[in-house]
Amino acid sequence: MARVFDELTRFCQARSLFILHYCTGCGAIELPPVMTSRFDMERLGVSPMVTPRQADVLLVTGYVSIKTLKRVMLTYEQMGSPRYVIGICSCTVNGGMYWQSYATAKKLDEYLPVDLYIAGCMPRPEAVISGIRTLMQRIESGEADSWKEYYHNYDYYLGNQQKLFGPQWQTPVDVIGEAEQYGLLGPATRGTHTELLEQIQVPLQPLEMRL
Amino acid sequence: MNLSELLLELFLMPLIAFLVGLTMVLWMRRIGARIQRRVGPPFLQPLYDVVKLFGKETQISHGILHDVGIIMAMGGYIAAEMLLPVPGMDGVAAYGGIITLTYLMMVPSLGLALGVGQCANPNGSIGISRALTAMLAYDVPFVIVIFGVAYHAGSANLIEIIDLQQQAGMAGWGVVEMPLLAIAGLITLQGSLGKQPFEIYVAPAEIATGPMVEMGGKYLGGLFVMQSFQFYTAAVLYVSLFLGGGESWFELLLKSFLVVTLPLSVAYLFPRYRTEDLVRLLWKWPVMIGLLGVAFVV
Amino acid sequence: MSLDGFTPWLQSLSDRIEGMVVTRTDLQQRRTRIDLPADHLTLLLEAAKGELGFVHLSAISCVDWIEEGAFELVYHLWSYEQNQLLSIHIRIPRDPGRYQSVVDLYRPAGFFERDIHEMFGLYFEGALDMDKFILTEWNGPPPMRKDFDSEAFVEETFGWQAYNPPWLQALTSAGGGVVTPPSEQRFSQRGEVARAPWSGSPRQPFQDDGEKG
Repeated sequence: MARVFDELTRFCQARSLFILHYCTGCGAIELPPVMTSRFDMERLGVSPMVTPRQADVLLVTGYVSIKTLKRVMLTYEQMGSPRYVIGICSCTVNGGMYWQSYATAKKLDEYLPVDLYIAGCMPRPEAVISGIRTLMQRIESGEADSWKEYYHNYDYYLGNQQKLFGPQWQTPVDVIGEAEQYGLLGPATRGTHTELLEQIQVPLQPLEMRL
Repeated sequence: MNLSELLLELFLMPLIAFLVGLTMVLWMRRIGARIQRRVGPPFLQPLYDVVKLFGKETQISHGILHDVGIIMAMGGYIAAEMLLPVPGMDGVAAYGGIITLTYLMMVPSLGLALGVGQCANPNGSIGISRALTAMLAYDVPFVIVIFGVAYHAGSANLIEIIDLQQQAGMAGWGVVEMPLLAIAGLITLQGSLGKQPFEIYVAPAEIATGPMVEMGGKYLGGLFVMQSFQFYTAAVLYVSLFLGGGESWFELLLKSFLVVTLPLSVAYLFPRYRTEDLVRLLWKWPVMIGLLGVAFVV
Repeated sequence: MSLDGFTPWLQSLSDRIEGMVVTRTDLQQRRTRIDLPADHLTLLLEAAKGELGFVHLSAISCVDWIEEGAFELVYHLWSYEQNQLLSIHIRIPRDPGRYQSVVDLYRPAGFFERDIHEMFGLYFEGALDMDKFILTEWNGPPPMRKDFDSEAFVEETFGWQAYNPPWLQALTSAGGGVVTPPSEQRFSQRGEVARAPWSGSPRQPFQDDGEKG
């Protein structure tokens, strides 16, 4: 009986995706054509939402510089599960055009779990819609479980994040606490990196913005 | 009627309101899509949205008031449905009139204000202060319109108002006998639904959807449910006051969908007004037209 | 002063400031390049700003001449009255890498100098603010210097996707599919196969030696 309920939930999740309208890099210019009249994505049930708390899908469009990656991590951890990540454009796959750059991340998979990559520079709106439809099929069949991987392997992801952002890296979200609450702890959730995080964790101050 | 019938009615009225409201939300999205020259979402889309939102597995609650706010938002409208007579079911409409209904329709915004206040997000606070200002703005013509209709019908009981209109036939409808009040009511309807140009409190790109900024998962599901109730209540109230209620379900649904179509078709062509412009507009035109209408009625 | 007044002014300027070399670099006579010793820059800037209306500082660029051990700073000035662009080139030694700031003459210079400080490591004395604003998450050496090997840094810090999954191996063994590892990329500076298509050897300026490589 619970399985039928799960199937129904997955069916509805596949048919109603809320994408986070967070335009990370240059690939974001392909999103307005997907949303507007010509390649309408609302007929597939996909709507844009403005805050991570309301959204299901994080579209990482384009290159992620280290500055952006910090904000992407903060955004990703604020989203409610089940959440999916689509890496659009070749820069998320293997560095793309900026593969020699010291300031962009090459393999997005090291920092947060990615469900689907859509290659191209930029992929056309038809390619983006085809990718979204593939994601919908994967959600419906139950394969799109990468959000659980974040909790299962938090130590690995945290280690890579600390390598880039420094050992003082912390987010407002208590990932291990959430994993404990929802029963998603795995053997690889804790490790050396989470120990380092626990040592340096301090209550966060508001960010100081200066120009 | 005995207690078990009453309980059955009280259970069915909000349920039917929810289903009809979902269809109205779909209708809104379809109209918007056709105006923008595209195909809209499939037929069961609002249901998929609600099921998906309630199926979210992790959520972040900011405290007890955050949860209470959403419950108040939904509960206010559920209570309002029980006071709204529909063909075949009167609920408790005989005991509470229009005044109680109006009062109950204000509870959701206040509940939402409580919930958003605990979220402590500046976007949310700005949004909800704008929403309460807008509510202040549209409530003044709303009360004038209701006063006019109640005075004309001689009672504040919705059942009697509907009966009066239905007995006199189509010439006795509110829109024929009190056209000015009907026009004022239509403008107020646009304000109370929160559609463009009175959509300042949502403002998706400006303040990240205002009050809904920290609501995700089950909270947003509750707000979607509230939106479907809101459409239904506003439409059926307008139909009961001005279009003669509905003698059968088919008639009621036809009339309420027509009533909802008018503000929605206008909504997608407009940008939004600023808060002070909104207040100025709603306190000028609907109030003047409404007062003129009341002068004719009295 | 009109356009005709510009050339005499340049002439009088050469008489006043020593070591100045003037080149008119385009056909429409709208761009002028001036090379001069680093000490005389303030004099020239004050003269240009005060006498001939070069009030707009478009940019300050920096070039790293690592073989000569110098940084070249270029100040691009524009005059609205004259419609002339003046590019002033100075060289400063690479070793201390310090120079004076012109922010008291041109306020936007503060922005460009902050940028150059972050990217090249040049310190500008007298500047109002030398804090980081672009590379806020960066702890390494100034990245635009020629002795910073971006590719080596990338190889060390970031990982690559598994670029040869089994399905691609099957394709390649059957004769299809071509995969170039990063070190064999056309513009890589590391591998032996790195060749630019228009000349024979890597990282050489274009040489017309009769045979196209």
